[in-house]
Amino acid sequence: MLTVDNLIKQYGDFTAVDSVSFEASKGTVFGLLGPNGAGKSTTINCISGLLSPTSGHISVAGADIVKDGKNAKRSLGVVPQELALYDDLPAIENLKYWGKAYGLRGPVLASRVQEVLEYIGLGDRAKDLPKTFSGGMKRRLNFGCGIVHKPGVLLLDEPTVGVDPQSRQRLFEMVEAERDAGACVLYTTHYMEEAERLCNSLAIIDHGKLIEQGSVDQLKAKLGARDVLQLNGKFPATDIGAALADRGIGDLEVISQEDGVLTMTMSSASQHLPTIFETITSAGGTVAETSLRSPNLETLFLLLTGKELRE
Amino acid sequence: MSFLYATFRKDLARWRQDMMAVLLWLGIPFLIGGLITSMVDGGDGASPTGILLIHDKDDSLLSGLIAGAYSQGQLGELISVEQVSLEEGTERINAGEASGFLIIPEGFTEAFLDDEPVTLTLKTNPAQTILPGIIQDVTEILLDLGFYAQAMFGPEIEQIRNADSIAVPDDVFVADVAVQIQDKIDTISPHLFPPAFDVQIVEPPPAEPRPDIALLFMPGIVLMALLFSAQGLSGDYWKERESGTLRRLVSTPGLLSRFVYGKALAATVIIAALGGTTLALGFLYHGLAWSKFVPSLIWVSISGVGLFAWFAALQMLFPNQKAASLLTSILLFPLMMMGGSFFPLDVLPDWIAAIGRLSPNGFVVDRLTRELTTAADWTFDASSWAIVIGLTIAGLAVCTWRLQTGFARR
Repeated sequence: MLTVDNLIKQYGDFTAVDSVSFEASKGTVFGLLGPNGAGKSTTINCISGLLSPTSGHISVAGADIVKDGKNAKRSLGVVPQELALYDDLPAIENLKYWGKAYGLRGPVLASRVQEVLEYIGLGDRAKDLPKTFSGGMKRRLNFGCGIVHKPGVLLLDEPTVGVDPQSRQRLFEMVEAERDAGACVLYTTHYMEEAERLCNSLAIIDHGKLIEQGSVDQLKAKLGARDVLQLNGKFPATDIGAALADRGIGDLEVISQEDGVLTMTMSSASQHLPTIFETITSAGGTVAETSLRSPNLETLFLLLTGKELRE
Repeated sequence: MSFLYATFRKDLARWRQDMMAVLLWLGIPFLIGGLITSMVDGGDGASPTGILLIHDKDDSLLSGLIAGAYSQGQLGELISVEQVSLEEGTERINAGEASGFLIIPEGFTEAFLDDEPVTLTLKTNPAQTILPGIIQDVTEILLDLGFYAQAMFGPEIEQIRNADSIAVPDDVFVADVAVQIQDKIDTISPHLFPPAFDVQIVEPPPAEPRPDIALLFMPGIVLMALLFSAQGLSGDYWKERESGTLRRLVSTPGLLSRFVYGKALAATVIIAALGGTTLALGFLYHGLAWSKFVPSLIWVSISGVGLFAWFAALQMLFPNQKAASLLTSILLFPLMMMGGSFFPLDVLPDWIAAIGRLSPNGFVVDRLTRELTTAADWTFDASSWAIVIGLTIAGLAVCTWRLQTGFARR
């Protein structure tokens, strides 16, 4: 349904998206995860036709977005990160206008607009101006404008940024409903819990490159049952990894050690904590803060990139 | 085509929500136009007239002739003579209600006939400059005329005066006096005729009636409304960009060119409504022929859309909304100044008017002024129409190009 093949987008010498390839199928949610500036929005903008790729191919429902843009866009629905609404046009008119932009007409448009209004929970506010809406209501209308034409491929660019928990929950339900209705959903986010809840498969992107992709289960399996232990403090110059291995923590792996932060992964980390503290202290170091996380996508991201997702 | 219509309807609906801005585009020119018209419009365009108050204490034939002299010929078009009492005349001249107050003393005729000194009193209105001067000059000429008449025909006048006692002068007396006067005229005739100089009267070519100055302002005021609305409407491209709708639009199959033409169509309706209202009031106020209304409306509407298109294209060249709005607003005033909105092109110095006629709005104003100030029917000037329509289409093409080349994608 959506194929991105070796996509490259450059701005002068800077490569914002570097040879990104993935496929997303009908009736699934494909997550594109990465921190701010990783290249998620650039990828989405290339797919939606806002940016021209430097090279590579993007196919939406079989149509090339560059060579056959009009047909590709007919199958595409976009819910941008920033609101894209006419504040001075009633909610129903917003939906009608964007429906017409996608080629809907007459009774089909009218019934679909009513359907979407009810679906996004704005049936009773149809004739009100969006400028009178709360942030969550605007987000829902923004979503509605992206799905009014029943797109085959739905692009959601961090749709929950700045959304209250109640509206976020409603958005999740709407995304799931679109997926269940057969749409191929591309969902970008830097919230791992959203990705874990919604996505069937994921790609992790950083510095414009895909560093890992697969189903959520596949990615979690890569992490195994290993915990991630992060220590803040002062650490001796000696090889702590080797010192701890000598003390019997055999499957320990030091991910990074910089700026007073030591990140390690191991199985059953909680059981090894006394040994770890003792080893560090006896080598002349101190531990000021300890963070122990059980395996999830966030820890996978940390393991893959050496940094927090929200950095 | 349907998306074009949808964009047109969408924009009209949005502008309905912002009626205050639309009314301001109309209100400002109306306010300025109203002030200008009230300042320059003196009513029917007639020359100013002064009032000469005369208090005639002598109440004789001669004093009556003096008073009547002010009402003769062209002087009568400038000066209106009113006979008043001394009190009324004094009161009115002190109140500044007249240009002059002439007091003819009792015994004026006697003194004239006796060639004795006599004093006429003329009070003039210091608040006026031209008319009191004319009255004073005319009075002096009349008195000089009396002096020379007395000098030349003093004996004959004395003879006539002495004949008062005769109930009905006989023919001999009348003939004698007439012969004496004729002799004197014959004597001086060689010195007077032919005159030492020849006066050739050249009739000026019949000038076209000069249009009312307030009417000359009218096209400029109409264009002022168009400029305000065109500049204001053009800012909507930035508004759309800031609200993210342009980016969303690019990801739809809707064509950007249709979007541009849809917006232009909505602008046409608003501009036609504002231009039509301004024109209609102008036509009513100046009593213009309504047969010229429709071509005038089409002319200003197309021109207004052209201005809108170029303002929009210009706005889309700026890096941010604030700069775009500020600089196009600043551009408005020189355009209005040069293009005849503050001063009609016909009253500007020739070289400034020539430059003004080259400005976009000045071109439109000049054409409209010519059509509205001539009695003939609207003449179809194909080249003017081609220029305006061509520039409008070019402006819209530039807008489309700017949307496609990045403005809508940021």
